[in-house]
Amino acid sequence: MPKRPSERASTPAGRTSFVHAQDKLAFLLSLVPYLLDRERVTVGEAAAHFEVSEEQVREAVRLIAVSGVPGDTAQYQHSDLFDIAWDAFEENDEIQITHRVALDDSPRFSAREAAALIAGLQYLQALPETLDSSVLTSLMAKLSRGASEAPSQVAVARSEASDSLLTIRSAVAAGRQIEFDYVSSRGDREHRVVDALRIDSNNEDWYLRGWCHTRQGIRTFRLDRMADLTQTDAPNTYSPGDLPLPDSLFDGSGETQGVVLEVLPAAVGLLGEYLGEGEPQLASGALTRVTVRVAHIHGLKRLVASLPGVVRVVDPADARRAVHDWAVEALAAYGTYADDDDRDSLT
Amino acid sequence: MASDNPGAAPVPVEERLFSLVLALLASEAGLTKNDILSTVQGYRQKFAFAGDNASLERQFERDKDDIRELGVPLETIEPLDEPGSNHNLRYRIPKGAYDLPADISFSSDEIALLNLAAMAWREGSLSRESRHALLKLQSLGIESIEPVLGYAPRIRTREAAFDPLTDALSRRVLVRFSYLKPGDLLPRERTVAPLSVVQHEGRWHVQGIDQNVHEPRTFLLSRIIGPVTRTRTTFVSDDTHSAETALAQLDEIWQRNLAVVRVRPNSDAETRLLKKRGSSRDEGAAESHAITLHFTDLHLLADELAGFGPEVFVVAPLELRDAVRRRLELTVATHQPEGVAHAEKTF
Repeated sequence: MPKRPSERASTPAGRTSFVHAQDKLAFLLSLVPYLLDRERVTVGEAAAHFEVSEEQVREAVRLIAVSGVPGDTAQYQHSDLFDIAWDAFEENDEIQITHRVALDDSPRFSAREAAALIAGLQYLQALPETLDSSVLTSLMAKLSRGASEAPSQVAVARSEASDSLLTIRSAVAAGRQIEFDYVSSRGDREHRVVDALRIDSNNEDWYLRGWCHTRQGIRTFRLDRMADLTQTDAPNTYSPGDLPLPDSLFDGSGETQGVVLEVLPAAVGLLGEYLGEGEPQLASGALTRVTVRVAHIHGLKRLVASLPGVVRVVDPADARRAVHDWAVEALAAYGTYADDDDRDSLT
Repeated sequence: MASDNPGAAPVPVEERLFSLVLALLASEAGLTKNDILSTVQGYRQKFAFAGDNASLERQFERDKDDIRELGVPLETIEPLDEPGSNHNLRYRIPKGAYDLPADISFSSDEIALLNLAAMAWREGSLSRESRHALLKLQSLGIESIEPVLGYAPRIRTREAAFDPLTDALSRRVLVRFSYLKPGDLLPRERTVAPLSVVQHEGRWHVQGIDQNVHEPRTFLLSRIIGPVTRTRTTFVSDDTHSAETALAQLDEIWQRNLAVVRVRPNSDAETRLLKKRGSSRDEGAAESHAITLHFTDLHLLADELAGFGPEVFVVAPLELRDAVRRRLELTVATHQPEGVAHAEKTF
């Protein structure tokens, strides 16, 4: 019996089961044409193909087998219903539709479904796989034509990461390590040698997840912090899929300190990856108080300084001091330009 | 098998929805509401032949919405001889409008790209739409080819306004929300006919006709304060390129706006700002580490630059320099060492 294909490197989160009846309907309307196309298929194959559990497939098949149309008598006679080869289903976990009614083809996309896929493709224009823009254009046209209404007007501007991605992809294809200079949030510049494992992104921020030979561990690198990226001649130790990658982009291992922040409630989402799963959020007056864990203050310091009046470091005192000093040092440069400003304000 | 026995287990919602789709697909002439409620599986069990079916009728209305949301073209036909008569409306799903056109097919590479496009919507309401679209693609039975390098793309939709706005967009209804323009002390209420929702430079914008001035306006979702109210007032728009137009307009603004900053050599700011789209080093300038940047919104750029602290000094324009300086001053004021009066009133 065919096995479920190995876990996809590109699928970090597992598929969840259907919650709404509408989701189940979408599955039923998709499963029927799939089953009709292949005369005989095992429950395991269908489950793997649709990325659902085997029980979800069995449940759907049982429902299809007793469904149909009211028919001439409005009584749902036997010939008005779908039918399956019951013995093969119950004994061998095999599905074969022996009688069909009303439905045989795949459904069209809704306006919003087509829009979601089209906007997703626009976003992916940075990938080496889509550098040939005619591929995307024809794909978007097909989605648009395959929708029952004009796709909703949702769009995402293309994201730029192409050059680094091309180098990384070709190194992976050749089974080679890559090397680059990396400027950390502390401000130091270090040479790194890495086996690339996966590319993650958050809006316009792109990250490389990989095995860092320099640090002997799995690390995450921002593509825009890399300089002088090249493919080396050394064969890589790990290929994509060899090592499990944690869902969080941040490396939680090693020494960390807790930093207490006060945040405007509407802006808690801006803390993004800093905010761990299930971290308690306490109301503190009109503000929300959260604790984030960091290896050092330097990355967080930058985030806090970019959200003045929105996020504030409360504790510990040396973290608060670091943010304070960061801003004071920046302001010092503007002090020397005070004359310019005075002159401008007089004109 | 379907049963009329009133003591039987209730019919699951997905079975009722599936049966309704099958019945309407099978009937070329269409079925009246009475036909549906009295004969279709899931309704007929609750139908009162001589009684009040008001709650069953409401259920039918909700089911129609659920089915249409999936992109199923559920049509209403008015009887020719009795225009305006609600009673004899007929419902049907024309098979030609339901089926995905037969000439639309996808290659394994295209399926892989569409999987990634769907995966990018891992949060917000469009994640469900993407899942439904993927099920429909999977119904075609095409296996995908995994890309050489794994990707885990993610389009963020953190703003609470995203879901109600994209929903209003599909339903073509006016929305109302409070909007805080930078520099204003208080938010102002806006009523807008939303024409597109677009992400540009990592930020979500809604573009539409502001009903107070009857002119197109673009709003940043992150500046919408509080909930977005969907009204019942519909509007007409047949513009199928409004998202494209909105992105092009934002790009024009981005192209026109220039800032010059001086960066510390080899700093995080230098590496990252140089990697931004459209950035260039001012080679000829006396200040050798000057970088010219494009931007769409001065206040958003000021936030970003303030995060770089002393690694960045804003040369021009002066308005940007002032905006960065004000942010740094606020950071200093809110991060005073313990014992010094907090500037919490500004927070």
